[in-house]
Formats: sequence, structure tokens, C-alpha cells
Amino acid sequence: MKKTIAVFFGGRSTEHDISIITALSSVIKPLELTKKYIVVPVYITKDGQWFSDEKLKDIRLFRGQAIDDFCAKAKPVAVVFDGGMILRKSGLRNKDIRVDIAFPAMHGPYGEDGSLMGLLRMAGIPFVGSDMPASVIAMDKVLAKQVAQANDIPTSKFVFFSKAEFDGSRDVIIKKVISNLTFPQFVKPAHLGSSIGITKVNNTDELSNAIEVATYYDDKIIVEEAVENLVEVTVPIMGNDSLRPSLVERPLAHGDDFFDFDTKYMNGGKKSGGSKQTGAQGYSELPAKLPDSLYQASLDIAQKVYRVVGCEGISRVDLLIDTKSETVYFNEINPLPGSLYAHNWRASGVSSIELVSRLVELAEERFARNKKIETTFSSNFLGQF
Amino acid sequence: MKYYWTRFLPSYAQTIIYMLQESDYKPKQYVAWLNRSNDFRSITKRRQLDFTHKAKLLLTVVWLMLVTIYLAGVALFVESIIMGNVMVAGLAVLLFAGSPLLTAYIVIVPLYIGYVIIQAPRQRQMVASARQILAEHPALKIAIAGSYGKTTAKEILATILGEDKQIAFTPGNMNTSIGISSFAQTLKGDEEILVFELGEEQVGDVRELCNLIQPDVGIITGINEAHLSSFGTLERTVATIFELEDYLGTKPVYKNKESPLVVSKLKADDKLTFDRTGTDGWRVSNTKTSIHGMTFDITKNGKTMSAHTGLLGKHNIGVIVASVAIADSVGLTTEQIAVAINKTVPFEHRMQPRRLHGAWVIDDTYNGNSEGVQAGLLLLKDLEAKRRIYVTPGLVEQGDKTRQVHEKIGRQIAVVADVVVLMQNSVTDYITNGLREAGFGGRLLIIDDPLEFYSNLGHFVAAGDVVLMQNDWTDNYA
Repeated sequence: MKKTIAVFFGGRSTEHDISIITALSSVIKPLELTKKYIVVPVYITKDGQWFSDEKLKDIRLFRGQAIDDFCAKAKPVAVVFDGGMILRKSGLRNKDIRVDIAFPAMHGPYGEDGSLMGLLRMAGIPFVGSDMPASVIAMDKVLAKQVAQANDIPTSKFVFFSKAEFDGSRDVIIKKVISNLTFPQFVKPAHLGSSIGITKVNNTDELSNAIEVATYYDDKIIVEEAVENLVEVTVPIMGNDSLRPSLVERPLAHGDDFFDFDTKYMNGGKKSGGSKQTGAQGYSELPAKLPDSLYQASLDIAQKVYRVVGCEGISRVDLLIDTKSETVYFNEINPLPGSLYAHNWRASGVSSIELVSRLVELAEERFARNKKIETTFSSNFLGQF
Repeated sequence: MKYYWTRFLPSYAQTIIYMLQESDYKPKQYVAWLNRSNDFRSITKRRQLDFTHKAKLLLTVVWLMLVTIYLAGVALFVESIIMGNVMVAGLAVLLFAGSPLLTAYIVIVPLYIGYVIIQAPRQRQMVASARQILAEHPALKIAIAGSYGKTTAKEILATILGEDKQIAFTPGNMNTSIGISSFAQTLKGDEEILVFELGEEQVGDVRELCNLIQPDVGIITGINEAHLSSFGTLERTVATIFELEDYLGTKPVYKNKESPLVVSKLKADDKLTFDRTGTDGWRVSNTKTSIHGMTFDITKNGKTMSAHTGLLGKHNIGVIVASVAIADSVGLTTEQIAVAINKTVPFEHRMQPRRLHGAWVIDDTYNGNSEGVQAGLLLLKDLEAKRRIYVTPGLVEQGDKTRQVHEKIGRQIAVVADVVVLMQNSVTDYITNGLREAGFGGRLLIIDDPLEFYSNLGHFVAAGDVVLMQNDWTDNYA
């Protein structure tokens, strides 16, 4: 009998729309093509309602107003924990869908940050990708860098603070940043991906404005010192215990520019005039043209980060390379890369179907492994009362 | 009977016209398809009805017939109630229930009447006029016959001779007397070479076309089991294709030595045979294959040329070298010939490579015979690849050899491919038997929905893969 895989996407995140693309193009379609599973889409609206319907597999529904009309008419599903997870569509006769495996295809808060993983842990079903603790660490740029530093992995210099701290004593924060870091700097919301809310700043005024922008998106802000002689690369990795890195990829941007949201997604991944590898983050050099030593160092550091953060299933590690000093710095880690970085996997010889199939296998392997761990302890403690 | 109700769907009329159109309005093929069809919802898969005048007219006729029979059924039923006659009521129900069947078969009648009254006289007139045009045309006429490879040979010949000569050739698969006659009407009269493809379905076809064309040179590309059901025996197929040589007598006919059935008919002293090593004194050497084509040297009596063709598949070298011999005989220089060979590129759906996500996909879906399968597998073996993926639904029209042919294909695939993708149909089990017999240890995928597979091929491949897609089953073979 075919297993039922629920693919979760959308969500209460600024990366809601990217998640739809990831789910529909890189997860649902290849999973269906395996012919091994019943694939159930679970779409989470921007205000947190859950819907499940075959129609949600069609990208056309998400263009324009059609999705709003759909959500207005359709009934949201309820989640029932009944020795697993059941999606219940209420009606004259309830329709229950028992979920055997979950495939989160969500980016950013309330999805990639461990929230959904917590729910799936409670349900006690296997799910694709990193577990809750690793997701929490990975989705907090500050926490991830602190974990890396504690494991002797170089990171660029950074300062962090909360929105409340900034609102309360703006001057103190600005002073703290400029006394610790030199310009240029990057201001980032600590929990967002896809380059949303990120600004490159060259002076105090820009810094102040950029922090204000970032606080609009997040309550924790990180300011990083820019790495000199920079080459930015990224390494997708999959695996639980034994890791398989894909190719080191170099996203390309021009001059002082950096890879912003529009470049990554809205322009089909291309800066004007670009003609290199295309994909979700298409304008890139794949594999990155690096000296062998730096290429290997990138693979090594990426895998080390993956392990110390505790990632499983799949992740993508972003690195910053100072080509003069030949230092590879850890920048950030994405537990669920946009479109699973399928273009990079394909270039390394893994088709989209093999990628999702392997990720499901990894989820089941971890689930089987964790099942062996004792989570209860018999005692006569209660008998004393 | 389970799906008999699908004959009452509103789409039924259009479906049967589609079946007629896909069968080239040939009653025998249409009726055979009709007889083996159950679920009329799943007939139209790959193409849609092309609303030509003929199709529209027939669709109207079918609707009129259906409505008339329905009304007659209803009228009879009302009559039976008035009369209180159970027999008449039964007849009414029978008429109503049988209406789709009656219509599907009766539609052949207007088709036949139209053919006898309008089409046949017009065609006779057209052929007579074409014979006159061709008899008076001064060009060298080259006729190509064979069960397979005719279109490819025609294209290669046209590309090479066209380097220095005014040339015209029958377009597409226009290879019947009607097709060739329409082609003759388009000629300007100043062509230096005319190339014709000769179709054959029954004994005498090639002779009839030769009488129409009056060729000076012939090429026999190969013979196999194609149209075996209409020929009856392979001997008849061979004899029909060799009607070209019978007609040409002492004039040159180049014959493909790589086809065993052609070889069976060769005389011991026949010099005009060709294969991948050469023809009539022309020798081919140093052949190298890559995804971008083949390079090789051709030599005869001190004339040497280094050639590159974009075509894939070593079987094409034989046809190229035969074309070289003809080009040389009509006065092209070795330089012109080498330049012309360089211009030969893969034809659509015939070993045509394209890039997909870092993989190479070779589209050979127009291939439809076991020789082509062998040529394809040889190519797949020759090409560098991380993973060799072979995709096929199998071959149609193999008659009583279906099982044998497909088991053999399975055994051949097993030693070349890492991944085998089969489109589920009546021959799938035979291919898998062959794979099993040969100890295939790779991955086997059996696909229910070919269109879904082809349109999502990008999800199946990765960089370094070479995918060979061979053969295609149109709806009338499903």
C-alpha cells in the first residue's frame, strides 16, 4: 500500500510565496512521479489556516486572486493526533487523511524555524529535513554563528541585539556596532532567509536606517562585518550520519551589489546580462571556480557546520571566502534551501526524483533510529504521593 | 462490456472520427482499432482531432446518424407503448443500445462512396498528369525504397547533392502515388536532381511508383517486418522492395549490406552495396562518435576527405557513403562533398540530441524497428555517460514475432542501460522477461502515463545522464 506524504507549504512567513514554488515544483511533482506515494498538499495561509485539496497542486491557483477565492470557499482542515497525524476535513461526513510522512517545504518563521518540526515530533511521524533543535539553531543567524565559533569554525565578526534594545537606546547600539565592526557591514534580521530585509551599509546613517528596516521584519538583528576579497559560495548537503555534499556553487552579483530577493527570485535568478547556470538562484557559477584547496576547504567547513548544528536530511551552508588570506568563513545555514537547490543537485548527478526519494528515506531512517531511543522511564515515584 | 456505456458519451462521435483520421481513413485499420477498444474515454491521448473539412463533414454525418437512430428508437418505443407490443419495445431498446456500434461501422459507407465517386477519379487524373510531367523532366531521378530509413536517406542525399545541384525531393512522408503526384505538380522544371521516397504496403506498390517516376538511380535502405500483416510473408516484402531493382535493370541501385534481408537477395558479384565501411571502392576509416556527431575519413582512388556529420548512429555512415558515391558520379568535388557532409544534422525525432539539465536526451522516437533499436543501443554504448537511460514503449506491428522481438530487445537493453524506462502496454512483459533473462541489475521504471513522463523528463534526469528515447506508440496501437 502506498504511503501518504503530506507536503506542508505557504505559512506565516515573508517567504510564503517562495515556499509555494519549492513545494509545487521541487517536492510535490517529483514525489508524485516516483509513483510510490500518495502526495497530499497542505497549504498554510499567511494568517495560519490549513487547507488540503488536490487543486492546491496547481500553480495557477496561486496566481492572482484565485487562492483567496479558494480559501474563502474551502473548509480548513483540522489536525488530529490519533496515534499519528490525521488531517480532518469536516463535512456531512468527515474525511480523514492519515499522514504517514511529512515533507515540510516551508521557509522562514513558523515552518523552517523548528515550529512545524515540534508539531510533527508531537504527532510522532517521520518528517523530512532537520529536527527541531537543529532548525531552531540554523534559523537564528546569531545562534548558528555562536555554535560555529564554539566549534572553532571561523565566522565574520558580528554584533547582535534585540529590537527592544535598539528602540530603547538607539545611540548605544549604533555605538556598539561601529566600535566593534568596520564598514562596510551587513544588517540582517536574525531569522529570515531569501535575503529579505538585508542591507549593505557603508556609514552610520545607512546603518541606522538599515537597522530600522530590519526591525520591521524581526525582533533580533545581527550586524556583520563584510569580508574583504570576498567570494561567496554555498554548499547543499544531504544526509543524516553520513553526509553527501553536492557542488560548491558561487552565486554571482555585481560590484557592491549583493544577491537580493528580486535577483534571487523575481528576475528568474538573473542579473541583467547574466547567462550562466540558471535555477532558483540561477545566476551562478556551478561548480564554483575556486583553487582546489579552497574548494575542498569549503566542502569540509560546510560539512563540519552541518554536523555541529545537528542538521539532518538536507541543508545548504553559505560560506564567505577571503581569497587573499584564503580563509573560509561560515556565514549562515538554511535547513530547507529554496527549491531544495534541485538545480545544484542535478548538476552533481542527482535528479529531482532521486533527491526527494532520498530525503524521504533519510526521514524514515531517522524515525526508525529515534524509535529505538527510550523516552519513558518506569519508576514508583508517583506511588509516594 | 464493462465500458460499453462510454459509447454514449457526447465525445463519442468525435472519438470515432479521430480514430478514422489516425488510421488515415483506412477502413481495415480503423475497424481493427474499433474492435479492440473498450473504454472510449481513453482513446484520445496523444493527439487531438484535426478539424479538417473531411473530419468536420464526417463528424456531421455521424451526429446525424446518431440522432436519427436515437429518434427512431424513441419513436419505436412510443409506438410500442401505443400498440402495447413488447417485441417492438424490445426492438426500440435494442436500436437505442446498438446505436453507437451501428454508427461506428456505418460511417465507413459514406467514406467509401465518397472515395469511389469523387476521390478515385480525381486521383487517377492526377497520377496520369504527374507521369507526363516526370517523363518530360530532364532531372536525374533517384528513388529510395526500403522498410525503414527512407526519409533519413532522402535527407542525407538531398543535403549532399544540394551542395552543387538544383534539387527537389518529396516532402515528409509523401511516398504514395498521390503524394508523389502532388509533389510533381510543384516542380519548376529546372531541377537537376529529383529524390523520391517510395512507400510500400502491398506487392506491386514499388513497381507502380517506378512506372510513375521512371527513376535513373535507386537506393534500398533496408528491409524488415514492417507492414508484414499486409504483405503476409517476408519474401513478399523483399520482392516488393526489390521491384525497384527489377525496374532499373542495369542502372545503379545501391543496397544496404547491413540489412540481412537485403543481403539475402544480393548477387555474389554485386558491387553497389553499402555499409559503414564503404561502397563501390569508397572506404571509410577512423570513425569516432560523440554526442556532437561522428568524424571519419572517406577514400577512393587517391581521393580522400575528412568528414564530420552531426548525425548520430554509425548505421548512417553507409547511407552517407552511398550518397558520396552518387555525388561523385554527378560531378561534385571532394571539397564540396566534405562541406556538404558537415551540413548533415540530426532530423527531428531521429537520434536528435538535446541538452536537459546537464543531461543529454537523444530523441529517436520516430524510430520504429528492431534495427533502429540495435543502432540506438550501440550509440548509447558508444557515448560517454555517468548513467545510460533507455526509454521505449516497444515496437508496433511485429505480428506473430511480437514476443520474440521484444524479449530479444530486453536482452539487448540489459547489457547497455543502467536505467530502463518502459511505457506500459501489451509488450512490456516481454521486454521485462528479456531483461530478467539477461540478468539486468539496473533500475526498471514502468510508466502508465507516457505524456506525463515525457513532459516531466526534467525531473528524472541529472547531469551526466544520457537518455535515449526510442519508438513511439500512437493511440491506434495502444
